[in-house]
Amino acid sequence: MDSFQPLFEQLFGSEWGVPLFLLAKNLLLILAIIIPLLLAVAYLTFAERKIIAFMQVRVGPNRVTFFGIPWLGGWGQPIADAVKAIMKEIIIPTGANKFLFLLAPILAITPALAAWAVVPFSPELVLADINAALLYILAMTSLGVYGVIIAGWASNSKYAFLGAMRSAAQVISYELAMGFALVCVLMMSSSLNLGDIVAGQQGGSFLNWYMIPLFPMFLVYFISGVAETNRLPFDVAEGESEIVAGFHVDYSGMAFTIFFLAEYANMILVATLTSIMFLGGWLPPVDIAPFNLIPSIVWLLLKIAIMLFFFLWFRATFPRYRYDQIMRLGWKVFIPITLIWIVLLGAVMQLPEAALQSFPLNLWF
Amino acid sequence: MIFQDFVFYSLASVVIISALGVITLRNPVYSVLLLVLAFVTSSGLWLLLEAEFLAIALVVVYVGAVMVLFLFVVMMLDINLDQMREGFWKWFPFGAILAFIMTVEMSMVLMSKQFSSEIIQTPEYKSVDYSNTKELGRLIYTEYVYVFELAAVILLVAMVAAIAITLRHRTDKKSSNASRQIAVSRNERLKVISMPAEKKE
Amino acid sequence: MLDTMLGNYFPILLFILVGLLVGTLCLVAGWLLAPNKPDAEKLSTYECGFGAFEDARMKFDVRYYLIAILFILFDLEIAFLFPWAVALKEVGLFGFVAMLVFLGLLVVGFIYEWAKGALEWD
Repeated sequence: MDSFQPLFEQLFGSEWGVPLFLLAKNLLLILAIIIPLLLAVAYLTFAERKIIAFMQVRVGPNRVTFFGIPWLGGWGQPIADAVKAIMKEIIIPTGANKFLFLLAPILAITPALAAWAVVPFSPELVLADINAALLYILAMTSLGVYGVIIAGWASNSKYAFLGAMRSAAQVISYELAMGFALVCVLMMSSSLNLGDIVAGQQGGSFLNWYMIPLFPMFLVYFISGVAETNRLPFDVAEGESEIVAGFHVDYSGMAFTIFFLAEYANMILVATLTSIMFLGGWLPPVDIAPFNLIPSIVWLLLKIAIMLFFFLWFRATFPRYRYDQIMRLGWKVFIPITLIWIVLLGAVMQLPEAALQSFPLNLWF
Repeated sequence: MIFQDFVFYSLASVVIISALGVITLRNPVYSVLLLVLAFVTSSGLWLLLEAEFLAIALVVVYVGAVMVLFLFVVMMLDINLDQMREGFWKWFPFGAILAFIMTVEMSMVLMSKQFSSEIIQTPEYKSVDYSNTKELGRLIYTEYVYVFELAAVILLVAMVAAIAITLRHRTDKKSSNASRQIAVSRNERLKVISMPAEKKE
Repeated sequence: MLDTMLGNYFPILLFILVGLLVGTLCLVAGWLLAPNKPDAEKLSTYECGFGAFEDARMKFDVRYYLIAILFILFDLEIAFLFPWAVALKEVGLFGFVAMLVFLGLLVVGFIYEWAKGALEWD
């Protein structure tokens, strides 16, 4: 790609050529992330409907196909849904604050997409290789709550307002558990860079992955991720049987679809981060012949797919939590566990060097 | 570095305009959102000074936490604007004096020698693998450890104060204790009694 | 310029702008392609078929503010823990003890909350 730089310098002169080239190159790279991501979101909805259908002994979507090919039955469904969503009217209720009502979905999707800027897909394949990557992701996920609060308030509907309040309190509570769990990962890796975190899990087999020494943190992080994205069993923010659809009850058409996109993009983000931080990212489970020949990105995608499957499995299996139980789990169970684990891990790391080099501690330190 | 200057001036003008909006707009929700914008753009300014960790921590702590509380407060306390405007001119001289004193104090600090361009140099451009966070970690927990522990004490005081001010227990509550429900054993809920079968008449 | 630490943030700035653009473009596409035939019934706030009795923006339980304040305090704690965790191998035992004191003080606060019932959701 860098071979195009001289062409730009010729076209726009040496002063403007370089910045314009950088702009064009980065824009292309960003599109190369966003477009597959949006496609993945579309087909995640299809996978969700198909998998839950199988779990409930149904067929799921099986009609919409491409060019009338029968064995592709259902695969056209996400595309049809997208076209339908664009053609639907965007209704803005009379009591709503118009500007904020339309701003809320944009505020929801922007951080959900922007967080992907620092996610590495293989040792070389990363758009912005910054040192504070993990902190940046924490910042972006903490911005997601604004879309929800503003949507709930701008709609001027009681259901939306209740849903937004519940969601905001829930999201900020689980963000704490998430942050504390991340601290443990940082203690192991000594770096905020996601590529370095994966490199720290190298060493021959899945025993080196942070999932093993940080197993409780792995569970805390993933469950907090489910709660952060307002997925079942933590979806009291939407809770269709009590507050209809929560904060987006008054949204329709494309405005609603953007919230939907943001939720699923966040789901994929949580699955990706869990794979990178706890499941060795693109590292193969065993570093021997048949496994390490497979390209590294395949392993990463496979791990992401497995974590996403858990999201769908939870949805098909668990009933919704009661709100006081959700808050209890976040504050009274997860935060004490993570605090204890931080202190334990710190104490182990103070052991003399000889002790850290002996089995099994030498796998991780 | 023309591009950097361009970024600096555009971010700085966004900060100033949004800060003006914060104090002039009538709808408090807009004010809070503009304050969020001001914080986000000033974190961009800090980034230009190569203060990577502080810039992102500003977003995490102020935008992600403090402003959420502000939003909660202005959205849900239904503040009556007319009532707030009533005493405006009565209190104006007092506020003006306060503002004047603050301006003088700030300019005294900023114009002192510590902030002159001889002492504070333009930061040099760090290489890619320079970790600002690690440098901070090295300093806070060794050289500045007393200040760091003082921060813990302040946080503790804030925690206690927040609870003292806001915590109200309702007397008419009928809530269930989730921990108790989970810890329940079979014997508490189920009682097996032996009943001898009665003879058929 | 791109090989400095700062240069790495340029794609991020661009990504945030593209993210804003994606949201806006979606809304504009919906506005252009979709029909727009509003009527009074359609635009009324959804409230089970009745007209809304009052403004939905009402006073709310103070508990939500308490949760938000506690969140700020713990979030600050996390902000202090991040550089510590990254530099732990270098600051060694001294840094570990310093953090133990810090965490100890905050755990006192946490226990106080718990005992006072501030974490109870009734």
